[in-house]
Amino acid sequence: MSQLQAGNDAPREIIRAEGIRKTFTLSRKQRKLEKSETGKKVALDGLSFTAYEGEIYGLLGPNGAGKTTMLRILSTLIRPDEGDAFIAGHSVVKEPEKVRASIGFLTSELKLEDFFTPAYLFGFFGKLHGMDEQTLEKRRGELFSRFGIDKFAEVKVGDLSTGMKQKVSIAISILHDPSVIIFDEPTNGLDVLTAKVVTDFLSEQKAQGKSIIVSTHIFSLVEKLCDRVGVIIGGRMAAEGSLADVSGGKPLEDAFFDLYKRTVTGV
Amino acid sequence: MSNILTIIKKEFSRFFRDRRLVIGTLLLPGLLIFVLYTLMGSVFADTSETYTAKVVNPSEAFASLVAPEGEDAAILLSEIEESDLDAAKAEVKNGDADLVIVFPEGFDQALAGGQTYPVGQAPNVEVWYDSGSASSSAAYNLVYSLLDGLENSLSNMFDVNFAGGGDLVSAAEAEASYYAMLLPFLILTFLYSGCMGIAPESIAGEKERGTIATLLVTPVKRSELVMGKIASLSVLSALSAISSFIGTFLALPKLIGGSIGSAFASYSAGQYFALFAVMLSAVLIIVSLISIISSFAKSVKEATSLSVPLMVIVMLVGISTMLFTTHAHAAFLIPVYNCVQVMAEIFSMQFSWVNLAITLGSNLVYIVLLVWVLTKMFKSEKVIFNS
Ligand SMILES: Nc1ncnc2c1ncn2[C@@H]1O[C@H](COP(=O)(O)OP(=O)(O)OP(=O)(O)O)[C@@H](O)[C@H]1O
Ligand SMILES: [Mg+2]
Repeated sequence: MSQLQAGNDAPREIIRAEGIRKTFTLSRKQRKLEKSETGKKVALDGLSFTAYEGEIYGLLGPNGAGKTTMLRILSTLIRPDEGDAFIAGHSVVKEPEKVRASIGFLTSELKLEDFFTPAYLFGFFGKLHGMDEQTLEKRRGELFSRFGIDKFAEVKVGDLSTGMKQKVSIAISILHDPSVIIFDEPTNGLDVLTAKVVTDFLSEQKAQGKSIIVSTHIFSLVEKLCDRVGVIIGGRMAAEGSLADVSGGKPLEDAFFDLYKRTVTGV
Repeated sequence: MSNILTIIKKEFSRFFRDRRLVIGTLLLPGLLIFVLYTLMGSVFADTSETYTAKVVNPSEAFASLVAPEGEDAAILLSEIEESDLDAAKAEVKNGDADLVIVFPEGFDQALAGGQTYPVGQAPNVEVWYDSGSASSSAAYNLVYSLLDGLENSLSNMFDVNFAGGGDLVSAAEAEASYYAMLLPFLILTFLYSGCMGIAPESIAGEKERGTIATLLVTPVKRSELVMGKIASLSVLSALSAISSFIGTFLALPKLIGGSIGSAFASYSAGQYFALFAVMLSAVLIIVSLISIISSFAKSVKEATSLSVPLMVIVMLVGISTMLFTTHAHAAFLIPVYNCVQVMAEIFSMQFSWVNLAITLGSNLVYIVLLVWVLTKMFKSEKVIFNS
């Protein structure tokens, strides 16, 4: 947090990951698929990065790079084997409840109960975040109209379309108005219209001073949205910096291919 | 605390707004048990049938045994003349009557005389029956045992319980001891099966569907989540058990006679309180155990099948009261077994506060321990994400 005391213009650290290592034990089936002798899969291999307050940070990486694993660690769903990460100064290892109270986390693995309606679930999760009835009501009005959920507020989640489900998930993930938003592949499986609703929303949140971290393998999304990028390949940070730094004047996609070749072949 | 309440409320909404769950766990068990026991009752109902017997030279002493004052006669006796004997035997043969009993003339006076005879010279009571007919055979056995009892109490050097003495048990107590054996087993089985219908769905089901992870990224403490789940599942399991119990309450008397109601009427408020406390601790232990099994399992199916072996053990412990009872205090430290034994003590009116205290105290320790284990499991990504 050294930046804290620095001048007004210096950005403040909001998320810092330090040497995060995470190994999964593979099941017998996975072992064959991964052709792993040891039965272990190193998903994150000493990953470090820093995101600053008020920016959108993009975690870019190919399938299996470890993006979701990193974000799950930030959300305290899983624990790192080594290293620690800090969100607004709270350690994900030592103060998981404080971390959870300050973040809004979205990933495809978090499901909503099919049986309940968006309105009910909004109320339920709102109470778990300690919100009172009035604030909750107001917030629900805002978010439901923002995402066009109003008409579906009383439809069971199980009966909603994929896109509407994703919008409900987003609304619920940030209902407590967190200062840090962590979205894993937020536009996956969405049509361009719905995807735009999501990216517009993220830009809006940034404008309100929120800090955002998104993971994706979609270059255009990073180019459109992100201030800074971290490129993860094989569980390691291959490059980190502003969008301009990382792409180095080329389209991001080309820069990524170069990076990938260099990292994988070790040249 | 408020988080626990929020979770309990959600679990209740999940349950009570789902007609399938309500019917499946609250209505059907009671209904099925009622129908099943009533059907079984109608098959075995013959035990309480009244039989008909034709009697030559009726005996007052015998008649008073057949129909003690204030009770319905088990056998309807009707007098016939000795000349009608053959016709009466024919009635027994064709099923119109169950028995023909022929007392020797002056049977009652002979009894009153208290005279004894050498073997083979005593007055003979003839009982004619039809072993081909179930009801005739049953009536024969009944009459035979009554006469045998009558003879034993009369013809010897002294009487036992003839002119005085007798069984001091009241009707309620007699039924109580009968139900004392059965009820702990039934209660435990109902609680367990009620819980098995709910807990796997609520824990393994949430894991399977990925909805538990959504809860885990809220600031809720894992321990609050566990306590909310256990509290709500306990209430729902208890409701399901109550449904089964109502079915039993209504149908069991048809099956085995007597009435649970009159068995219950004889308990004091203190005994009811004790019973409630024991059942509460039993339900919490059972729910915690099944919840732990369910959080290990990857799916509802797996959770349910993993719970079956434990159910067998719990049911075996449940019938232990029919085989033996302990009064050794240390035995009341054994979970589940202690509940069964204390319930049996309460039902059979041989209730000890010390054993109750040991049971409740040790169960409280077990419950705290199980909640702690479950909290640990909810904190473990290996358990929650099966990784
Ligand atoms: N629970 C798990 N058990 C075993 N291996 C796992 C587990 N979770 C992740 N992995 C492995 O760790 C690696 C990183 O996975 P992760 O999901 O973080 O990748 P990702 O960058 O999010 O990929 P994608 O773009 O496909 O979502 C992969 O090789 C994956 O197979
Ligand atoms: Mg991923």
